Amino acid sequence: MLRFRLAVVLLASASATWLPVYRNIAADAGLTSVIPNGGNKTKQLIIETTGSGAAIFDYDNDGLPDLFLVSGEGGTNMLYHNEGRNRFRNVTEDSGLHSSGWGQGVCAADYDNDGYTDLFVTYYGQNHLYRNLAGKRFQDVTAKAHLIQNRSRYNTGCAFVDVDNDGFVDLFVANYLRFDPATTPKPGDNPYCYYRGLPVACGPRGLPFDRNVLYRNNSDGTFTDISDASGIAAPSGHYGLGVVAGDFNDDGMPDIYVACDRTPSLLYINQGGLKFTEEAMLRGVALDQHGRALSGMGVAAADYADDGRLSIFRSNFSDEMASLYRNVGNGNFDEATVPAGMGRNTRYVGWGAGFLDVDNDGWPDLLLVNGHVFPEVDKLRIDIRYRDRAILYRNLQDGAFQDISESSGPGILERHPARGAAFGDLDNDGSIEVLINNQNEPPSLLKLADHAPGHWVILHVEGTRANRSAIGARVKLTSGGHTQLQEVQGGSSYLSQNDLRLHFGLGSATKADRIEIQWPGGARQILTNVAADRVLVIRERF
Amino acid sequence: MMPATRALVCIVCCAAALSASSVRDDGIAAFHDGRYSVAFEKLKQAIQKDPADLQARVFLALTEAARNDCKSALAGFSSLGELADNTLARLAGIAAARCLQTTGNNSAAFVLLHKLAQRFPKDADVLYILAKFHMRAFTDTTMAMFQHTPASYRVHQLSAEIFEVQGRYDEAISEYRRAISLNPAAPNIHFRLGRALLMSAHDPKVLDQARAEFTAELKLSPEDAACEFQLGQIDQIQNRQDGARRHFERAAALSPDFPEALVALGRVHLQEKRYQEAIPLLERAVKLQSANEAAHYALMMAYRNTGQTEKARAEQVVLQRLQKPPEGEFTEFLKKLGEKSPNQ
Repeated sequence: MLRFRLAVVLLASASATWLPVYRNIAADAGLTSVIPNGGNKTKQLIIETTGSGAAIFDYDNDGLPDLFLVSGEGGTNMLYHNEGRNRFRNVTEDSGLHSSGWGQGVCAADYDNDGYTDLFVTYYGQNHLYRNLAGKRFQDVTAKAHLIQNRSRYNTGCAFVDVDNDGFVDLFVANYLRFDPATTPKPGDNPYCYYRGLPVACGPRGLPFDRNVLYRNNSDGTFTDISDASGIAAPSGHYGLGVVAGDFNDDGMPDIYVACDRTPSLLYINQGGLKFTEEAMLRGVALDQHGRALSGMGVAAADYADDGRLSIFRSNFSDEMASLYRNVGNGNFDEATVPAGMGRNTRYVGWGAGFLDVDNDGWPDLLLVNGHVFPEVDKLRIDIRYRDRAILYRNLQDGAFQDISESSGPGILERHPARGAAFGDLDNDGSIEVLINNQNEPPSLLKLADHAPGHWVILHVEGTRANRSAIGARVKLTSGGHTQLQEVQGGSSYLSQNDLRLHFGLGSATKADRIEIQWPGGARQILTNVAADRVLVIRERF
Repeated sequence: MMPATRALVCIVCCAAALSASSVRDDGIAAFHDGRYSVAFEKLKQAIQKDPADLQARVFLALTEAARNDCKSALAGFSSLGELADNTLARLAGIAAARCLQTTGNNSAAFVLLHKLAQRFPKDADVLYILAKFHMRAFTDTTMAMFQHTPASYRVHQLSAEIFEVQGRYDEAISEYRRAISLNPAAPNIHFRLGRALLMSAHDPKVLDQARAEFTAELKLSPEDAACEFQLGQIDQIQNRQDGARRHFERAAALSPDFPEALVALGRVHLQEKRYQEAIPLLERAVKLQSANEAAHYALMMAYRNTGQTEKARAEQVVLQRLQKPPEGEFTEFLKKLGEKSPNQ
């Protein structure tokens, strides 16, 4: 007994002193193709600045999550099959996912509940829904699913989310702005086309706004645009980018948060009956603490402070702080950026972001990838750069974070023009890898050099009455007296899709004492004494 | 007079008036075409025919000004008195101000331009000339300063301020340091240096350097509320909540009408969930500065967190109205001037 206690104490202290070392293993893993996205030294149009996202999802149900990268004009989106042992094979051509155009975001879910995860890719132009055909290949079913848009739209973030808990995921698509390359002013044409005195791609300031879109899943393979009827299209004057869905006011119905560039961000509160009201301002997640709209890009939601509620992190522009909004209950938030220790990094333009338990201590840390919008910024020779490093914050378990980027290995410190980032455990070893889509470069794949010290468990929850991907399922896991809350989330990060499986660090505990799953629709399922260090599939029971 | 004679006189007079106005119009057209010598002759003729023709007199003076005969032009303008017609008054005012400046009568030019700016507050030409006037006055004074007092700390202070406006913060910092080395007791330079340091880089290390400068300024000016406010902000970023509160309290005590200090202190109370202490401060801040977004936002949150939903919604309405379109580059440029506002 004494020996056991000693081991527990040693493990706990090891977790506190252990520092992660991330390496970029993309080249060794076979991820060598460049993803084009506009100009590399100069960008003429805003469309060159916003792409693109990444996804981690298991398309062939072999238990090893695969990779998907969205491409800008001049390339194709890419699907990489996970071959095991951190090797990936480019299967784009055979998969039916070869593409062209200005790809932006991606989200993944089993929209037809056939047991295989499908893909939705957003574009400037027309979006595409790809149905997964038994894990063998994908079929473009956009038209068949009634998802053709009647005009070219600048679609960005997306999220599958079952807004009415009917067992079929619906689809939310954020829109950035109304854009026409033929009429958009060129760098230097007006005051909105300058950055620090340099002529740069114009916008979003000065460019016309557009509305967000919500499609209802008709449960028969088709969707209906309910943007107007649902209230989703009501807010005007917002440049929407990153999206995350989650039950922020704990009423059992998923809400939707949209990070908006240069304008107040949006929080659509689900009123039931397929109706939403936009309430970000009063709920405290639209602006910063100075009452100013920031340049929101990416977004992540997690219970980082052991509140039992989902808080929100949003990445912003340079000369702005990132935003951390702590959920104080009833769907209200207080900004916690500065007290949480996130007020010092102001030189970065942040994009993909995710809460992940790096050291498996049971407390979500946060990783944020960066890179400036304008390559031209390098001409200024200041401390703001087009290619920049990531930031890793360690959760100090008291509501605050510590920036440990400088001591977290070369993978964090490498400089890239990063955009989308997707999070997931690619080799089921209990540590989360991070796939990053870099503009005009091969992607990065960050992996820990050493195993994290704590124990862990990965839960693959599958709906039967609820939607098959279990998006919206809430899991409360208790181990060693500490309870964590996670939700299976549609969307998240920057225009990206994380692995739908939930990873929990258990610290020194060798088992999860209790796992409570609240399925979309309200059913509860409880498991006890679940052994640690494994991937567990939990199917909804009723 | 016989009706026939009356008719004849009328015909002669009308013909003369017609002829005078025709000559004047030719003169004005020549002026607009830049044919100033023709304009000068025609307008002279028009005035000879009708000395009361105001338009002709204004355009003659304008023509003289355009021909760089400012002496005659100014005499012409001064004889006109206050012009009721806005178009003529604007043209005459601008030309007269230029002539006054050309003839070295800067004080009269200054007075005239400000009068014009009051009458035409949204006129681009008037504002442009006024801006140029100030720019030239600034350049002349700066040159005089560099010529007559080259070793003065003020020369370095001014150089630093110019570099700061240009966004050349490293050079500004270096010049501020030279100014301080020449006159360590000069007020406000440590403050400006602290601000320039904060603007120079995003590296958290500059926070400590800036803190040292604001602290040094406080030794020179122990009741400088702006310095206390800056120190509070640095403490806040560095997670020294107690220090931040002390500095903000002192800033607000030193300058009770300093809205930013009231908001900052109010926010500290909000973070500590002392809403009842926060609300009066924030209410005072919005009263002092009704367009202060930070004050309205913090007050909205305070009302929301104390269950005063209707008041919170009212603040939300104000805040939504204040959410202006993003500011342009020029406003950013002006912000860099970094002057303390009078209530700091």
